[in-house]
Amino acid sequence: MTVSFAPIWAVDVIGSILMIVLSILCFRLARQLKRREADNIMWTYLVWICSALTIFAVSRSAGHILKQILLLTGSPHLWASISPFSGAVNTFTFILVGGLTLFFERTWDINQEVIQDRRSLQNAHSELLYLNENLERLVTERTEELALSEQKYRGIFEASRDMILVTAPNGRVVEMNPAGYQMLGFQSLKNENGEANSRDFFSSPKDCEGILSSINAKGFVSNIEMDLKHTDERRIRSLISGSLDQGAAERDSTIHFLVKDIEERRRIEEQIAQADKLASIGQLSAGIAHEINNPLGVMLGYTQLLIRQTKEGSETFQDLKTIEKHVRNCKTIVEDLLHFARTSPPKETTIRIDAAMDDVLNFVRQHAEMERMQIIREYDPSVLEMRLDEKKMKQVFMNLIMNARHAIGETGILTINTAYNPEGKSVEIRISDNGHGIDKQNLSRIFDPFFTTKPTGEGTGLGLSVSYGIVKNHGGDIRVESIPGEGSTFAIILPVVPPNISDESKIDGKIAADR
Amino acid sequence: MRSYVARIAIFIGPLIWIMARPGAALATQTHGGAEGLIAHQLAHLFYLVSMGVFIYWLRKRRLVAESGWRMIQFAAAFLIIWNFDTFFVHLLDETPGIIRTYRLSPWTIRIETEPGFEALASIYYLAKLDHLFCVPALWLLYIGLKRLSSGNLKAGGDVP
Repeated sequence: MTVSFAPIWAVDVIGSILMIVLSILCFRLARQLKRREADNIMWTYLVWICSALTIFAVSRSAGHILKQILLLTGSPHLWASISPFSGAVNTFTFILVGGLTLFFERTWDINQEVIQDRRSLQNAHSELLYLNENLERLVTERTEELALSEQKYRGIFEASRDMILVTAPNGRVVEMNPAGYQMLGFQSLKNENGEANSRDFFSSPKDCEGILSSINAKGFVSNIEMDLKHTDERRIRSLISGSLDQGAAERDSTIHFLVKDIEERRRIEEQIAQADKLASIGQLSAGIAHEINNPLGVMLGYTQLLIRQTKEGSETFQDLKTIEKHVRNCKTIVEDLLHFARTSPPKETTIRIDAAMDDVLNFVRQHAEMERMQIIREYDPSVLEMRLDEKKMKQVFMNLIMNARHAIGETGILTINTAYNPEGKSVEIRISDNGHGIDKQNLSRIFDPFFTTKPTGEGTGLGLSVSYGIVKNHGGDIRVESIPGEGSTFAIILPVVPPNISDESKIDGKIAADR
Repeated sequence: MRSYVARIAIFIGPLIWIMARPGAALATQTHGGAEGLIAHQLAHLFYLVSMGVFIYWLRKRRLVAESGWRMIQFAAAFLIIWNFDTFFVHLLDETPGIIRTYRLSPWTIRIETEPGFEALASIYYLAKLDHLFCVPALWLLYIGLKRLSSGNLKAGGDVP
């Protein structure tokens, strides 16, 4: 086949020139990239590749151009001597380009790692720079935030009306808020060992053990009612919740207690229950008394009629007298029951409390062997005249003083004081003794009708019931505080009613007080 | 002492025996004949394979999603074709009896083949135009680098 050599020549020569030009352009571009980012290994790699390709292109193309020129100029022998060198250089450049290309994957990986490390370093550097520039401000801000937080939670801790107690898991007291100190009556918690234990706060240390073990086992306790102990040995009924705060290390764990004093609430609840009970008994008593009172009246009337018709001194006369005496006793009891039940309204007159009390004391002194008893009278001069049923109030004072005398025995101290409370517009009359006191289990029953601790025949058990009824009938209240072995105090609280107030509104006030 | 002398004799004896019997020197191999051609052809094959590996890594690393690297991938593909072409031309040129070329005038040549293989002459003629593959390869490489450069400029460095 005979063909034109021109296409081969043209493609060879022009292609060779283009190869040289393009390879140099590629090399320049790669150099530019490298200059732009001198530390980028990928551009360095591309510079190597382009360098190898340029060497390849120049050596091969120069060889081809030279070959064509020498062949055209009729010097093939000259090309024959140069050709092996040109071919060898070409072979070398092939291997160079191929070898470099095979390193692409590793170079790429290294570059990625370098970029990643550089980013990490840049981030770390930025953070360090930021911290360096803002460290003081950040510390100040954080400190302020912490101070605010501390102030806020310290405020809650300090201002809480309930006791907040922080202890170690073994009960050792770490911290207690002022409400806790006030509630328990402590000035300082430290004992002779320099530390306090929450066991000391409980009436029964076993209760504390139980709570601590429950918290350590379950992590919390909720609303458990327990008796705490005041420093004056007074019992404080409390509602206790606690939870375990696990610290980073076991020794850092603490227990946080929230203790609510429910003594006052429980006392009011008991008073309400007592009042309800006595009101029920009063209703029952009134019903019975009414039913018995009339037949007793008939019995007394007929007995007195028979006495008048019977010869004095005879046996029948004596028998009738005995019947009359016992019927009268029964009538007294029934009347006392009616007083307790407050069926009749008080016949109020204007009296002075201290004068009425003195009358009672004088009467009792004359009839009840009180010579060896010390009587202390502390009357408040600001207690003015009051509208009261004098006879019934004297009966109340008599009952309470006689009870005190009975509790004291022959020697002891009876203290009577009065006080006016302008805020509550009431007068408080306190009758205290240092006798044997009242047992705890009897305290809730002392106002019950027919309840007495006296031997049979010495008391009917109606004295305090009747007193309770009379005081309530005046719109007042009667309370008792007693420590067995140390004495008792009865407090009568009477509302101060201005002398011109109408009876109707007085009765309304009394009903409201009863509720 | 006797054992020491015996050890020296064991090591030195064979050496003296070899030196006492000289023959042809075989230390350096000669390079003549077709060795240059074979080396060149192997270099072509190596070049071809390395370009194939290059394309494999570009695709595996998903770099071809970027237009610059995609162009470079095409450049590598053209270089593979070019290597095939030149390998084939060298094979026909240097294998005796397949192709014979004669220059009839400065601008005319005659290509002869064995009877029955006339089509090979046309293929050989076309294959001689190998710059039709390697020039586009370098052009695509140039375009690829240019795109990488502009991409890098937009990204403010740190690419790839």
